[in-house]
Amino acid sequence: MKRCISNGTKAAATGWLFVLFLSFDTSGQTKSRPTVRTAKPVAVKKAAPPIKVTLVDEVSIRKILEPNGKPLLVNFWATWCDPCREEFPDLVKLDNEFEGKIDFITVSLDDPEEIATTVPKFLASMKAEMPAYLLKTADESAVITAISKDWQGGMPFTVLYGADGKLTYFRQGKVVLEKLRAEINKSFDNAPAQPVGDLSLHP
Amino acid sequence: MKLIGIALFTVFAMLAFVLNPTTTTEARSGLEIGATAESFSLPDTDGAAKSLDDLKGKKGTLVVWLSAQCPVVKGYKDRINEIAAAYQSKGIAFIGINSNATEDLNWVKSNKAEYGYNFPILIDKGNVLADKWGATVTPEVYYLDAKNVLRYHGAIDNDRNGKNITDAYLKTAFDSALSGKEIVKTSANAFGCSIKRAQKAE
Repeated sequence: MKRCISNGTKAAATGWLFVLFLSFDTSGQTKSRPTVRTAKPVAVKKAAPPIKVTLVDEVSIRKILEPNGKPLLVNFWATWCDPCREEFPDLVKLDNEFEGKIDFITVSLDDPEEIATTVPKFLASMKAEMPAYLLKTADESAVITAISKDWQGGMPFTVLYGADGKLTYFRQGKVVLEKLRAEINKSFDNAPAQPVGDLSLHP
Repeated sequence: MKLIGIALFTVFAMLAFVLNPTTTTEARSGLEIGATAESFSLPDTDGAAKSLDDLKGKKGTLVVWLSAQCPVVKGYKDRINEIAAAYQSKGIAFIGINSNATEDLNWVKSNKAEYGYNFPILIDKGNVLADKWGATVTPEVYYLDAKNVLRYHGAIDNDRNGKNITDAYLKTAFDSALSGKEIVKTSANAFGCSIKRAQKAE
């Protein structure tokens, strides 16, 4: 259980209680990558469960981004960001295509006040089932730099880590579906990948 | 508190180690801290060509990439205007740049009036200057000293919402420069809108 934030037995117990609570509450949109990939809803036509967006900070996001034996795709976005919204259908498409083969999470940079309103509403409209987080941090610069030294904070930002946790691809700006698909496929190779960056200077 | 501080430091050190690859094939390029910016000439919102040399201030120049549609810029507009008012009088000139291919001249012009910018907004058609300087986000600032040497680059402060600013990067840089001190933090990033660049012909 290396992904649990262990801060002493008491904290761990509290954490487990919290996890237990979330597992009842979140309908599959949960707190850590290993358990989020529950089976997709059986094709019974009824209202989709409400989407849960989990608040993370500069510390807890690190836990989520730890290597997990599978490539990890992370999309940083916000509801106020037009290109972020525009690319979402492509992201959902890729999530469906690579379900079970990669982990895919989204990290919203919206105002934390919107964690239960605007953000899940948009995700629901996109039928986005990937685990959803909202980042709240007092030091955005540190998080941005930690994710990639070449990222200046422009959104959307999509980053792909190999199974070993090494960054293999990033893009600032709207993703190009075919390009990202190819990069994901490349990430399954065992050979160490040469990181590729794309700051979208020439879309 | 000390323990928390140590823990946070450790976490960030590990985060930087785990998540930050040693190389990327496309490193950030553009105007570097300590480099001298060449003068440029771009049209303002009335179509008149303005150059950096025309507009530069006695104590330096703040070049800020803006957008009419970006909500983050909207959130910063009052702070930008306040900072401009406070530091123009101390000799720092302000120049806005709009490199967004998705925003036409009329939109930029009406946005300038709506947001109350009291400094020129220059139109960077084809994002030539943004490419040259490496600007990718709005808002994104470049502070040049009186000799056009880049002294600070990046975010205005550390809180988009303006409610809990704990580090006013740009003001601190200005104050240091104006009092002849070294600028300690020469760059900082913040989440913003990607500049909508023009499509390049293949």
